[in-house]
Amino acid sequence: MHKTIAFALVVLTGFSAGALAANQMVYQKGRVFSSENVSIKKGDALTFVNDDSIPHNLMSATKGSEFNLGSQAPGTSTDVTFKEAGDIQVICAIHPRMKMMVKVTD
Amino acid sequence: MPGLFPRRSNLFGTVVVAASIGAISFASIGLGAVVVGETRRIDLGSKAAPGIDSIKSQYKRPATIPFPKENPYTPEKAALGKKLYFDTRLSVSMAQSCASCHSPGFGWGDGLAVGVGHGMAKLGRHSPTIVNAAWGAIFMWDGRLATLEEQALGPIEAAGEMNMPLNQLMDRLGSISEYKPLFAAAFPSEGMSAKTLAKAIATYERTVVSERAPFDAWIEGNEKAISEEAKRGFAVFNGKAMCSACHEGWNFTNDGFQDIGLPSKDIGRGEFVPGVVKMQHAFKTPGLREIERRSPYMHDGSLDTLEAVVEHYDHGGVDRPSRSDLMKPLGLSAQEKADLVAFMKTLTSNLSPTAVPVLPR
Repeated sequence: MHKTIAFALVVLTGFSAGALAANQMVYQKGRVFSSENVSIKKGDALTFVNDDSIPHNLMSATKGSEFNLGSQAPGTSTDVTFKEAGDIQVICAIHPRMKMMVKVTD
Repeated sequence: MPGLFPRRSNLFGTVVVAASIGAISFASIGLGAVVVGETRRIDLGSKAAPGIDSIKSQYKRPATIPFPKENPYTPEKAALGKKLYFDTRLSVSMAQSCASCHSPGFGWGDGLAVGVGHGMAKLGRHSPTIVNAAWGAIFMWDGRLATLEEQALGPIEAAGEMNMPLNQLMDRLGSISEYKPLFAAAFPSEGMSAKTLAKAIATYERTVVSERAPFDAWIEGNEKAISEEAKRGFAVFNGKAMCSACHEGWNFTNDGFQDIGLPSKDIGRGEFVPGVVKMQHAFKTPGLREIERRSPYMHDGSLDTLEAVVEHYDHGGVDRPSRSDLMKPLGLSAQEKADLVAFMKTLTSNLSPTAVPVLPR
């Protein structure tokens, strides 16, 4: 139980840092990213909002920055923090027209 | 941010929430350079359902065919591409052309459950139509090819299909004297190569567009163009059955990949995106133009009729982690099922005959 609480605190601390920052938002309504190019500072997070009517599955296959949100239901949002500088392509695995670039700067 | 998970005031509640969030994060976490946070519910507000006119406006036919900047249309290219498309000498056996599996007589498919390749061996998947390929975002059932030019070469080279190495093919075509001036006219500065062959075939394929169907006349305002049954089917298609979540727009596809719960071992897109659960057993959503002429249906040709297809969607298919979240039992009435089929049949055009070209010798 103590381990679980400690783990929970670590997790919550991590999340609260993300929650305090005013993240840039990326929307997905109509199977289109609201921005094709987004620039953020290293350590900042983007909030990916599924404001569409169907599920999306955002991911990146960019080497070293791989991630996969899994099926993201309509009416949910997920923060993604980018900790290394570089150009990262984010796609929807389901919808091949949905592609965007995240430029992470130092 | 409205609609966050409600904050819990007691420690136990916090632990439960945090632990469950942690589990979600671990399931989808990145590799260090990227950290995926929790997923929150948000309030999108309530929206009135769009009216029929608004829905119909999403189905208007485009006025022009899109050709890529890298391979713009010319009549010479399309004419050469048509000859190549119908030329059986593109296969090592000299018995199969592109048109063998993508025939105008069968809505630009082959009318078989699965394709037949080199040596008359059955292939693993249904031959897809090439109708409206000009609007494709990605190609093959599993999306393994990015452009129509790449797609044109794929089956030629594939050992199981036309089994023709490209260098051997170009030698063979080079020995057919009447091809040389056709390539010279279509590609004055590029000449004869596998690359120009692919560009010519892709250009011809882009000209294969479904013609006006009764549905198009209805979309443009002729209320008598389709039956009342079909109009009800259109409403079910866009409403209760949610078909339009994937089969969207005038060509009835957004080219997305979905596991629709067919009991097949083929993992489809999953082969190329192994870490993504929803891509296992996922296949590209086909367009529905000329669908009545394109039976049998599905990536494996496992369903013989449109009625069987509707039954499959009404049932929801195999429930497995990869199955699309959009697939679930629909509870359609017999009337709604019949209406859906009636609607899909309005997508059949009066395809004019396709003349088979005289081939170079």
